[in-house]
Amino acid sequence: MFRRHQKKFGVNIELYMQSGIIESYALGLATPEEAGEFEQLLPHYPELKDALSDFEYHLELFSIDHEIPPPPDVREKIEARLRGVPVLPHAGGGQYRQQHGQLRSEYVQAKETSQHIRVHKVWRPLFIAVFILSKIFLVLAIYFFLEYRHARSQVQRLSEPAGRAQGAGSEGK
Amino acid sequence: MLFSYILQFVPDRTEAGTLLVDIFSRLTPQLQEAFDSNLSIYCWLQVESRKILLEYIQSKGKTDAGEPVAPSIGGNTRAYYFSLLEDAPPEHQWVFRELFLYGREKEELALHSGKDLAYISRVLRECFGVIRKNLG
Repeated sequence: MFRRHQKKFGVNIELYMQSGIIESYALGLATPEEAGEFEQLLPHYPELKDALSDFEYHLELFSIDHEIPPPPDVREKIEARLRGVPVLPHAGGGQYRQQHGQLRSEYVQAKETSQHIRVHKVWRPLFIAVFILSKIFLVLAIYFFLEYRHARSQVQRLSEPAGRAQGAGSEGK
Repeated sequence: MLFSYILQFVPDRTEAGTLLVDIFSRLTPQLQEAFDSNLSIYCWLQVESRKILLEYIQSKGKTDAGEPVAPSIGGNTRAYYFSLLEDAPPEHQWVFRELFLYGREKEELALHSGKDLAYISRVLRECFGVIRKNLG
């Protein structure tokens, strides 16, 4: 298999990997030609894919270990920018934007494709309370309905002998 | 995680924070490319961020006449990936810094340093070896 591929592409994959192509590609240092060649070979050589995944995995572990949290307001600014809400410029900030005008556009062209909506966490207990209350009202409604039916049948039962007695009395006269 | 990566190129935290916002807003519309890429999402983010950062550094490093000046702006050469090269010879660190941090081409670097392309490629390959060894 390996020899067949080697023959097909004329590449000694071991030597190719030792050339540093994996690292160049993963770090973005490969030239467009090198990257194109790598992408062409990748589907045919599982060893390349494994080596790339292995290097990426170690890079990510390294990144996690050396993580420095960004300033606290960055997340809000990113979310605001992504939602298309303009962020108020603060003093000293936005140097890049000042130099580059408004970059490509002021807002990100976001397409809404999701069928889901997002609501604030505050609504969760409220929804649960409404759900529980609706169940309680349902149970009470059933209970009172049955009680009503029971009471009505009792009234009917009580009124029947009285009516019958009344009828018998009038016949006797 | 990306913030630490940016700090390699732009050590000023405020500036890096602004760049992080710009990077996310520029890369978000291209997210489909990340999913289609052969790289993991995080590596794709790093690679694409580096392009934006180099664009920024190069624009910042130009004179008023638009000519490039020596790429000596910012760059924390002891942090992050460079910490993996601490035990490498200075020349190796220099080659990696010029290629990775300042985005120079290998050919350009060879010409600039008076070395041949094969030499620069070999040094870079050795840098990768050191990085791999230190990554574990």
